[in-house]
Amino acid sequence: MEMETSAPVLSTPAEHIFEDPTPAVAVTEVRLSDEQLYLQYEVKRTVSEIRQGRWKRIALQFPDDMLVDAPRVFERLREDLKTERRRVRQLKPPAQAEDVSESLKDVDLDDERAIAMQSGPEEDSEDIEERLCILADTSYGACCVDEIAAEHVDADVVVHYGRSCLSPTARLPVIYVFTSKPLDIDAAITSFTQTYPAKHEKVCLMADIPYHHHLPTLASRLLAEGYTNLFQTSIIHDPSSLLPNRTLPPDVHQDTSENLKEYAVFHVSTPPTSLLLILSSRVRSIHILPTSHSNPTTLEASTASLLRRRYALLTQLSTVPIFGILINTLSVSNYLSALTYCQKLIRNAGKKYYVFVVGKVNAAKVANFSEIGGWVVIGCWESSLIESKEFWRPVITPFELEVALHGDEERVWGYEWVGDFGALLGRDGKEGTSGVEGEGEMVGQAGDGKGNWDDQPSDDEPPEFDLRTGRYVSHSRPMGRPKKAVAPNSSPDTPNGVSSSSSPAASSALIQRNTKSDVATINGTLSPAAEFLRSKRTWQGLGSDHQEIAYERDEQGEIRGAGMEEGRSGVARGYAVGGGEVRR
Amino acid sequence: MVNFTVEEIRGLMDNPINIRNMSVIAHVDHGKSTLTDSLVQRAGIISAKNAGNARFTDTRADEQERGVTIKSTAISLYGKLGDDEDLKDIPVKTVKNDFLVNLIDSPGHVDFSSEVTAALRVTDGALVVVDTVEGVCVQTETVLRQALSERIKPVVIINKVDRALLELQVSKEDLYQNFSRVIESVNVVIATYFDKVLGDVQVGPEKGTIAFGSGLHGWAFTVRQFATKYAKKFGVDKNKMMDRLWGDNFFNPKTKKWVKVGGDGMERAFNQFCLDPIFRIFDCVMNFKKDQIPTLLEKLEIKLVGEEKDLEGKALLKVVMRKFLPAADALMEMMILHLPSPATAQKYRMETLYEGPPDDESAIGIRDCDPKGPLMLYVSKMVPTSDKGRFYAFGRVFSGTARSGLKVRIQGPNYTPGKKEDLFVKSIQRTILMMGRYTEPIEDVPAGNILGLVGVDQFLLKSGTLTTSETAHNLKVMRFSVSPVVRRSVEVKNANDLPKLVEGLKRLSKSDPCVLTYISESGEHVVAGAGELHLEICLKDLEEDHAGVPLRISDPVVQYRESVGGESRITALSKSPNKHNRLYVIATPLAEEVSKDIESGKIGPRDDFKARARILADDHGWDVTDARKIWCFGPDTNGANLLVDQTKAVQYLNEIKDSVVSGFQWATKEGPVAEEPMRSVRFNIMDVTLHADAIHRGGGQLIPTARRVLYAATLLADPGLLEPVFLVEIQVPEQAMGGIYGVLTRRRGHVFEEMQRPGTPLFNIKAYLPVNESFGFNADLRSNTGGQAFPQSVFDHWQILPGGSPLDKTTKPGMVTEDMRRRKGLKPEVPGYENYYDKL
Repeated sequence: MEMETSAPVLSTPAEHIFEDPTPAVAVTEVRLSDEQLYLQYEVKRTVSEIRQGRWKRIALQFPDDMLVDAPRVFERLREDLKTERRRVRQLKPPAQAEDVSESLKDVDLDDERAIAMQSGPEEDSEDIEERLCILADTSYGACCVDEIAAEHVDADVVVHYGRSCLSPTARLPVIYVFTSKPLDIDAAITSFTQTYPAKHEKVCLMADIPYHHHLPTLASRLLAEGYTNLFQTSIIHDPSSLLPNRTLPPDVHQDTSENLKEYAVFHVSTPPTSLLLILSSRVRSIHILPTSHSNPTTLEASTASLLRRRYALLTQLSTVPIFGILINTLSVSNYLSALTYCQKLIRNAGKKYYVFVVGKVNAAKVANFSEIGGWVVIGCWESSLIESKEFWRPVITPFELEVALHGDEERVWGYEWVGDFGALLGRDGKEGTSGVEGEGEMVGQAGDGKGNWDDQPSDDEPPEFDLRTGRYVSHSRPMGRPKKAVAPNSSPDTPNGVSSSSSPAASSALIQRNTKSDVATINGTLSPAAEFLRSKRTWQGLGSDHQEIAYERDEQGEIRGAGMEEGRSGVARGYAVGGGEVRR
Repeated sequence: MVNFTVEEIRGLMDNPINIRNMSVIAHVDHGKSTLTDSLVQRAGIISAKNAGNARFTDTRADEQERGVTIKSTAISLYGKLGDDEDLKDIPVKTVKNDFLVNLIDSPGHVDFSSEVTAALRVTDGALVVVDTVEGVCVQTETVLRQALSERIKPVVIINKVDRALLELQVSKEDLYQNFSRVIESVNVVIATYFDKVLGDVQVGPEKGTIAFGSGLHGWAFTVRQFATKYAKKFGVDKNKMMDRLWGDNFFNPKTKKWVKVGGDGMERAFNQFCLDPIFRIFDCVMNFKKDQIPTLLEKLEIKLVGEEKDLEGKALLKVVMRKFLPAADALMEMMILHLPSPATAQKYRMETLYEGPPDDESAIGIRDCDPKGPLMLYVSKMVPTSDKGRFYAFGRVFSGTARSGLKVRIQGPNYTPGKKEDLFVKSIQRTILMMGRYTEPIEDVPAGNILGLVGVDQFLLKSGTLTTSETAHNLKVMRFSVSPVVRRSVEVKNANDLPKLVEGLKRLSKSDPCVLTYISESGEHVVAGAGELHLEICLKDLEEDHAGVPLRISDPVVQYRESVGGESRITALSKSPNKHNRLYVIATPLAEEVSKDIESGKIGPRDDFKARARILADDHGWDVTDARKIWCFGPDTNGANLLVDQTKAVQYLNEIKDSVVSGFQWATKEGPVAEEPMRSVRFNIMDVTLHADAIHRGGGQLIPTARRVLYAATLLADPGLLEPVFLVEIQVPEQAMGGIYGVLTRRRGHVFEEMQRPGTPLFNIKAYLPVNESFGFNADLRSNTGGQAFPQSVFDHWQILPGGSPLDKTTKPGMVTEDMRRRKGLKPEVPGYENYYDKL
């Protein structure tokens, strides 16, 4: 609008387009002093662990908000490692020098995302020099160890900074440096006593990882206050624990959550949503001490509405014909078996899936596939729960997928919420197929009424009731339901001569559908996505709209419309319109 | 004593000219079911002594208890005209004097109107029952209008004449005046909804299309019956006699002449010849003039047998009247003579019934009611069976013959020819006759008949089309006069019962044509019904029958709609996540008439776009070019919001249409204010700029952007909440009217019409009442009027929730919004338009 001379309207100068819209990460904290840095990033422990493991290539993984400190941590580590090495060397006789050129060559091969720096000039030492590098822009969540990026720099070990989901890794050893954040202990004590007036109350003390080191202090102060049944959790690397990644009170066994129900949980700092959902069914109550405010007051966590919303999401997906499986991790151990598990679930339900490997999931990425009715994220237990209204189609976790694909006859909700798919895989053997059996039940039970309801064969699956909309949805199982024995006989003399489909196959195999049912196929395989393209999209590619171009005509049948004029040409960053004037 | 057999009926089915499909419709408590009983008595299914209080067609226990019909029920009856000569009076040449009457008794309470709609769809004629005393009430008018719009021919019975005689003790002339007033108001309604194709369907006693009687006592008469009697006696033409027996016709006994003006103590012919014998019987019997009774009976050729002779008072009156003027005779005669046979009716109903072209094989099959044509069968509702979870599909064969084992195409309401959506192929398991509480298996059913089907229930939720023709379009989906605007959420008390609740909700949804069951955005199981009574019945069924588990039921709430009050202040602009694509959109309110037309199906997404543009331009003042460029309707591709393309020469626009439409469906399903559906908003796409490379303008970039820009446009256009409003009609005596005004005012209601019913102290009050304020209204009204007011509420329209903007927390709409957002687990503040609007 500002320029009247050139193209009118609603356009911006082309150069604006490439301005980066994403706000810079807010750096809230002032720079740490060297001493603070040393403590905060636990340089000493890191160095000693590296030395102990005799690792030579070390990848340092920082979350985005800690990247500011990364160079200094890097320098400090290098210095300390060097000092340490020197100290050791003085004790030991000198050895062969390392070939410098070879290690330099390695550097060239490094992944471009990893800023690799070779540490200091090579000195003649028997001890090979450690090479450190900083991994930036983690592929998946900051809470997960990015093994792939680390492998690009050929790392022996990853040092992971910041809060972590502690999901077990498949390939590399990891040194976790949780870093720590300050906590007003007095305020915490006050709000704790307000929350639990009874001194004999059974309470589990939990804290988000950066606050975890405050727990011993907190616990001892509280014991001094007279609380008798406190349990102070400590960190373990087991997301499938009843309290994920935390030790359990002594009177609770991993297999039965009964005793845990007697405990209340006092959680320092706001936990991730998935942790809330997991805990909601396992403990008596959860109280959260927020750390973001200056004056914290404990909040009782209410998960009921959150769980209900998840229920709405997953019931919406129970009738979806096509699923997308998003692989959002390449490091969490047994993610592949989780994938197989999800594939099997979806296949058994007669639905179609497509597998995608996606870095950080966002709405724009997944909305590119409009034929997909719902997404399942296979990722670490914290990041696979995506609570956002911005997604075109719902995104659920493998556990929720299992619940969604259970028949309506079996679905129970609200008892438990499982975040870690390791736990799901464990149950696989026992009830992997129950969903399918449940679905089949309706047909089975109908027979015992007074009339034989389903003697007559049908060519099609009955539609399913979409709980979210209250309507029937047809073809929610495009790949056919693996059914046990359907009577294949049908009278050949039915008027329109359609013979019914037969061939009930083994439960794992796909069902050969009647060829009459005209679902699109690609190379002889049913393709619901191709069917979607054919039936649901109006735009099917260049040239597909040629026959639809119809001229508008006025009453006399004359073509009505504008005269022909030259259109735009060029590329997106600047089109030439007509005579060469640049316009966007 | 069953006086007909299935074989007999099957024989009659082959002859469409001798079939009458009819519904009994009326206002609540005007006596439909009771009247139906007297017809059933005639067909002999229940014994004569039960007629009048058995309510044969009320098959459910709660129907019997409450004395109100909830479900419509069908029965097949066998009928015969008293005299073969009468066959000549049927407009279509009929040879055999054997008739099959398929009768559907429907509920009168307005909350169950959807049942009436389902009944009307499968019938060709309607017996409209009107209470002598109460006259034409709101529901009479509603059902009559529905009947006429389905091209269903009405005949009328004025019921409860005994009440007028016994309780009100009116004189003959008063009764006559009362009758003619009722008839006039019926005819006013009929005239209002005049349909050229259906022709003149005004009713009148002289035409024989009106009967008078008492369902409770089991007697009724038409003028024609008396005319026949007197025609013989006087030796004049019957039809002439009929004309004379109604209106200003007087017989001067001295001159033996008919005159047009009364006086001289001359009585109106109707009073003298029709009413007089009835009045005399009433007088003798009720005043115990025992000596006169035998002579009177003899004169009227009534013979009492056995114990009947010992009866007296009302019991005797009942017997005498029933023998004198059996209701079934009068009604059967009226129905057979004046209601159309399927063969007649389908000729003119075809075009309103069938969605496809009027010259394809299915259309021709329907038009000719051809049993050899392609099967066209409409399933109008599902009837629960004793097998839990299974249903009979109840419907009508319009063309072809339905039989067991026949392989049919089952087309759901969303089926479009050539697509696989909502289409299933399945064989009919069995065909059955539905007779009140009983069903009878039957081999096959030819065109023109009503039937039940076994084995197709899994494929249809509520209704649908069955056909054997691969080219057949759907039979038109029914439009209900009620909407499920009252909602309650249910949850199980024991989480393990959840599957049972889910199954119950599915069954409930199937068993009622109108009820809606679903899971809300926030994860609650919701049951939505037309009104409080409807919901109450549905939830009772759910808890006791369909689910069978204890439930916790929330208070009723209404669903709001989000709309806009004006045009967007500025053109809303949103950029795609990669900043390479921009959408410019303006939101404006859609005219209420357009929204109503969309909701009633007059304007729909499936119409030819040129025809639709014509209607929009001619009736609603749209620009034709705009009207032709409607991209879609939403939500659910058929709601009352429009997306209009107003861009000029945008490259690649075709390509992104699907994505923008997806975003539009998404946005209109969950609006920006409180995630309620939008209504009555028109979005104009003003301009679009797109990246030249296809990959950068894919769905991922455009679907979220389209949603954002629509949100921004809405928030910039003075957003508002729409609340549903009931039309309440209240019948009340004058002295209790003050109470009504008080109650209404307290509940934000207002009266817009107040009319005295002629000849009575009763007033008819019409008022608008927000549904949200209507909970407990009936009880409140009753206590404030000493139980003298009878309200009927039916959803009428949406109105802007008054009091200001929902974005302002201090206003009432703001508080409602905040409350709703909290309930849904959203953050209480409505996000500002800046969240969706991108600066250039």
